[in-house]
Amino acid sequence: MKRFVAVAVASLLALAACGESSSPAVPGASPQQSEALAKAPVADAAEILPGSTMEKIRQRGELIVGGSLDAPLLSQQNPVSGEVEGFDAEMGKALATYILGEPKVKIVNSASETREALLANGTVDVVFQTYTITEERAKQVAFAGPYYTSGLTIAVKKGTTGIAKPEDLNGKKVLAGANTPAIPAIKKLAPQAEILTFGSDPECIQALKQDRGVAYVQDETILIADAKKDPSIEIVTKPFTEDPYGIGLKHGDDQFKKFVNDWLKKIQDAGVWQGIWKNSIGTVVTGEAPQPPGIGSVPGS
Amino acid sequence: MSTALFDEPGPKARRRIKVATVAGALAAVALVALAVRQFAANGQLDATRWQPYATWPMWRYLLDGLWSTFLAAVVSAALAMALGLVLALGRLSHRSWVRAPAAAYVEVVRVIPALLLVYVVLFALPRYGLDLLLFWKLTVPLTVSNAAAYAEIFRAGIVSIERGQTEAGLAVGLTRFQAMRLVVLPQAARRVLPSIVSQSVGLLKDTSLGFVVSYGELLYSGKVLAAYNGLLIQTYLVVALIYLVVNASLSKLARTLEARQPSGGLSPWRMSRRSLP
Amino acid sequence: MPVLFEHLPELWQGLIVTVQLTAASFAGAAVLGVLVCALRVSPVGVLRAIGTAYVETFQNLPLLVLLVLAFFGLPEIGLQAPPLATAIIVIAVYEAAYIAEALRSGVNSVSKGQGEAARAIGLTFGQSLRHVILPQALRTVVQPLGNIFIATAMNTALAAAVGVVDLTAAAHRVNLVEAQPIPIFVGAGVAYALIASVAGFVTGRLERRLVILR
Repeated sequence: MKRFVAVAVASLLALAACGESSSPAVPGASPQQSEALAKAPVADAAEILPGSTMEKIRQRGELIVGGSLDAPLLSQQNPVSGEVEGFDAEMGKALATYILGEPKVKIVNSASETREALLANGTVDVVFQTYTITEERAKQVAFAGPYYTSGLTIAVKKGTTGIAKPEDLNGKKVLAGANTPAIPAIKKLAPQAEILTFGSDPECIQALKQDRGVAYVQDETILIADAKKDPSIEIVTKPFTEDPYGIGLKHGDDQFKKFVNDWLKKIQDAGVWQGIWKNSIGTVVTGEAPQPPGIGSVPGS
Repeated sequence: MSTALFDEPGPKARRRIKVATVAGALAAVALVALAVRQFAANGQLDATRWQPYATWPMWRYLLDGLWSTFLAAVVSAALAMALGLVLALGRLSHRSWVRAPAAAYVEVVRVIPALLLVYVVLFALPRYGLDLLLFWKLTVPLTVSNAAAYAEIFRAGIVSIERGQTEAGLAVGLTRFQAMRLVVLPQAARRVLPSIVSQSVGLLKDTSLGFVVSYGELLYSGKVLAAYNGLLIQTYLVVALIYLVVNASLSKLARTLEARQPSGGLSPWRMSRRSLP
Repeated sequence: MPVLFEHLPELWQGLIVTVQLTAASFAGAAVLGVLVCALRVSPVGVLRAIGTAYVETFQNLPLLVLLVLAFFGLPEIGLQAPPLATAIIVIAVYEAAYIAEALRSGVNSVSKGQGEAARAIGLTFGQSLRHVILPQALRTVVQPLGNIFIATAMNTALAAAVGVVDLTAAAHRVNLVEAQPIPIFVGAGVAYALIASVAGFVTGRLERRLVILR
């Protein structure tokens, strides 16, 4: 019996261990690199300071990124290739290229509430996940960047009238993704709105189409993509908030923060940032890539 | 089936049954047809909306999710059974300081929703420096909550073994522990096997909470797919179908095991605890 | 602890929703469960098959999948209800499968002679179920039904997936604002335990009152 128990426990642990390495994380080394990534710069040996976080990553041989798998255009897993695609995902690969010379990334799926903890205990090196820089958060994590600025906007079913600005949402049923910045924003600008939350973007869209709410507040990029896919939906306002996305790093690691900021500057100058934008968000937003936000321009960064 | 409730129907009754069957079937078909028509009218049956699920990569992705579901279910079932056995023995102990905590664990855990336990592991523990890996964020709460259910199943099994068995064991010079291990447990284990399988089906269903944790099990894989292709309803229908086939096969196994037993199953607990999500 | 009092209105509202969900869906499940059980023990093969299919389907699908599918899928076939109503119906339909099975095992536990005696004095199938079998079956299933009630209360937590703000969802929301998970989640846990202990108390009383001394 004892032997049986010992064997059972051992095999269980083995099973669990293999589960960890394979299932939640997605192996990333991309077989066909995008054009933008091919131009991505690689750091000089001198920049990888001994004893630094960069050196640790180089020794490990891969960059561990906290991100999502279900955010179209930003960080969405392609079920056909298993590859994670989008603006955030490509940025992660570009940073990996800078440190390692190749885009070797492991994405650890992080629910938005656990990002601070993941960074603090070193489970992930960086977070690329629509991580809005706030002074509140900057007390727990360090932010490099901002690397992109987005904002919330409002989508309705085509033909809906009477909603032209956030204040018009007062007294109406409004849809929002669970745990998104839309919830506090609605509460602030339209305190009398009744908020209905769902776990994912397709669910919110479905709910909007089924008239479970009259409006859907979400990040502009995501809504543009939705409106493109589904002609029965239209966007009625310009972005009414400004959310600067930062690269989450371990709190207090100033050396790494400077390193990442330098990298960000380099890829912007080299046009890599713009290329990545074109490949992802640029596929639904017409026109040239916008001016990237100034590095360190936001309180908390 | 309690056949004592009715006689073999006579010729008249048989005719009536036939008529009622046909009428009922027609009514059911009409209802389903109506629903399907409406479904199609809303464009949900369009070939383009189903075409992705005729391709292998989509299925491969979902089957990968199913594999993760199995992995989470197997690991938490094994851990929960081990803990459950300890708890069951604890509750049957002669020492009150062993009995009380075991009983308290079972009684407390069985009245806390599994989702609340998931939230504790997800939000409360990281605040105190304990941030588990994604896999364990799902399996730990499931283990904690299912251990109580398994404990009650084991306890019922052990209690159902006649006293004479233990006494005979003691009479031939075994210690209490040896009698439990060599005489009672092997018999109890056989008797509770069907209940264990049913409970494990329940646990497999519980792994759908991975949806909340964003662990890549079947339901969460469905969520990622829906975000990718925007086909919410089709995706969840396919996911539901996979769960149905897998769980129905496991339930069938439980019934086969039960049929092979001489003395029915044991059950109140099984019935109730299986109704977890 | 003060955090609980500060947010008492939201948490209280959540508790009320949880109680509503539990009570309404359990009541619905009880009615539906009796019907499904009657189907499963009926003399007509087709009805038995329907009963079996019902139980098999709903015992083998995760409630979470059913909730999401019903909430977003049913409007596509022209049936749309508000979130709370949808959740109540789905949980009722789901738990009915378990109640039906509990009742069936109760029916099977009533000795054969009872059914035969009922028929011998000329009662029909429905009459013998209603007057002879079910009243006796109920006594043996009080405990299992109590357990199903507790499981129902626990399962209502999943209604949050379709936008219902029940106790668990309310606790989650308060925690997002206050970031004090321990008092908030422990408070919610205690509330669930209270609901469950009411069930335990009632089933205990019922069992004592229904007991037959032979």
